[in-house]
Amino acid sequence: MRMVPNPTSTTFFLLVLGILAFIIIMLLPALVEWKKPKDAGPRRIMGHMFFAQTEIGDMMTDAEEEHVFDKMLVDRIAGIIAFLPNLEA
Amino acid sequence: MKAGGEDLLAEVLEAFFLILAGLMIAYLVRHYIFTITVLKNHQKPKRVNTAENITFQPTISVLIPAHNEEKVVGRTIQRMTELTYPKDKLQIIIIEDASTDKTGAIADQYAAMHNHIKVIHRDRKVGGRGKASALNAGLKRAAGEIIVCFDADYYPQPDFLERITKEFVNPKVGVVQGRITVLNEPYNIVTRLVALERIGGYRIDQQARDNLGLITQFGGTAGGIRRSLLESLGGWNESILAEDTDLTLRVYLAGYKVSYLNEAESYEEAVESWQAYWKQRYRWAKGHMQCAFKHSFNVIRSKNLGLKEKIDGLLMLNVYFMPILALLLWATFIPLLILKPSPLFGAVWALLPFPLYSFVGNFAPFFEVGIGTYLDGRTRANWLIPLLIFTFLYNIPICTKAFADLLISKILGKDDNHWEKTVHSGNGNCYIGS
Repeated sequence: MRMVPNPTSTTFFLLVLGILAFIIIMLLPALVEWKKPKDAGPRRIMGHMFFAQTEIGDMMTDAEEEHVFDKMLVDRIAGIIAFLPNLEA
Repeated sequence: MKAGGEDLLAEVLEAFFLILAGLMIAYLVRHYIFTITVLKNHQKPKRVNTAENITFQPTISVLIPAHNEEKVVGRTIQRMTELTYPKDKLQIIIIEDASTDKTGAIADQYAAMHNHIKVIHRDRKVGGRGKASALNAGLKRAAGEIIVCFDADYYPQPDFLERITKEFVNPKVGVVQGRITVLNEPYNIVTRLVALERIGGYRIDQQARDNLGLITQFGGTAGGIRRSLLESLGGWNESILAEDTDLTLRVYLAGYKVSYLNEAESYEEAVESWQAYWKQRYRWAKGHMQCAFKHSFNVIRSKNLGLKEKIDGLLMLNVYFMPILALLLWATFIPLLILKPSPLFGAVWALLPFPLYSFVGNFAPFFEVGIGTYLDGRTRANWLIPLLIFTFLYNIPICTKAFADLLISKILGKDDNHWEKTVHSGNGNCYIGS
């Protein structure tokens, strides 16, 4: 016995398929640009090249943060020095 | 045969549906008109320089309200020192508004180095009540003929002030609004989508309103206003969350206009998370709705506004109701399919485009943003436009909550105008250092 497709369910199936295809086609370029942006970035307004090197910013740094930074730097230098004899060998 | 009550309900729903669909279409047509207007006029210069507007140099007071802005305020004040406007005609006032961080200390150090920079410190007794309150405090100390406002995260082009002051040569111009560009756009998907919204809003909406002589909006920042006009209007309204929209309407109702200048640009930092987006848009939506309740009838009755200004004014004032109405439109469509009050609703396929059209976040705003990015020479940014559907959908609960909260506060007679501050991080700012 041959199967005769129900016209109502076929229409419904095609409708759902069409909507899904529409959504995918519509969103695909957006997803590509979102994940791998190739846009050049924001519009450059006139005078943007003036680099804002704040006069105050550096003066306001937290002393504790400075201390942490210094310690990290000393540790790294110590690591390099410790490695040097091996280089000579 | 249907019961009489069911028939009546169906007819009422049908009428409601058609009214909502009509409103949707009105907004869509408006977007298309705006976009096509800008496309037609984008190569025409705004104004020809004359001897008068080149030599016109009024005194200017720049107001920068700052509440806990230590991460960005130094950069903004630094930029103020780089403005090319004559220093003897320029006053910078930083309103440190009950900050609990280093904002005040940073501002004080700049004030110590530059004579034209002043700082107003507001303690918790008087400060921290929102931007309008802070700006009014600044206005009391302002000496300039023109009052220019910048938010604490703004970064204008060096000759921004020269550009906007030219517009004030026209005595009918009460306010001049510059263009805003998102600086931290590459930071994440939220900032990228906000940047697209800004492009549509400024490059197209504001420009078209200016071209067509409609209600150009003062965005509350990156713009200037005549001090005499501002004082005659009683300053900023502290009881409304959208103090900028309220001021725009009061300026127009007083017989002045707002001029938009696309060539006067400033960077801003966009919100970086969906949570921050919610807070900011909630404030805008609620404030806009407050303005709609306050000014809609004033706009209709005004003798200073022409018909097209009145229509645009009403559309602008009520724009934040549209996401709610879109929701109602879809909700109405479903029972109508079942009840079928007239042959019109029997034709499902013919009617389907209506809810679909509004559902897809209005194609016209997408078109608007697309043309905006095209005019900016950023065709690749267009690829993200379909994702704006999500910001549109997100705006539905935001606007619905804003409306519900506003109604409840009206019923209870208790206005809750808490200013939810946008937090600025100073992150992801390309082009400029921090």
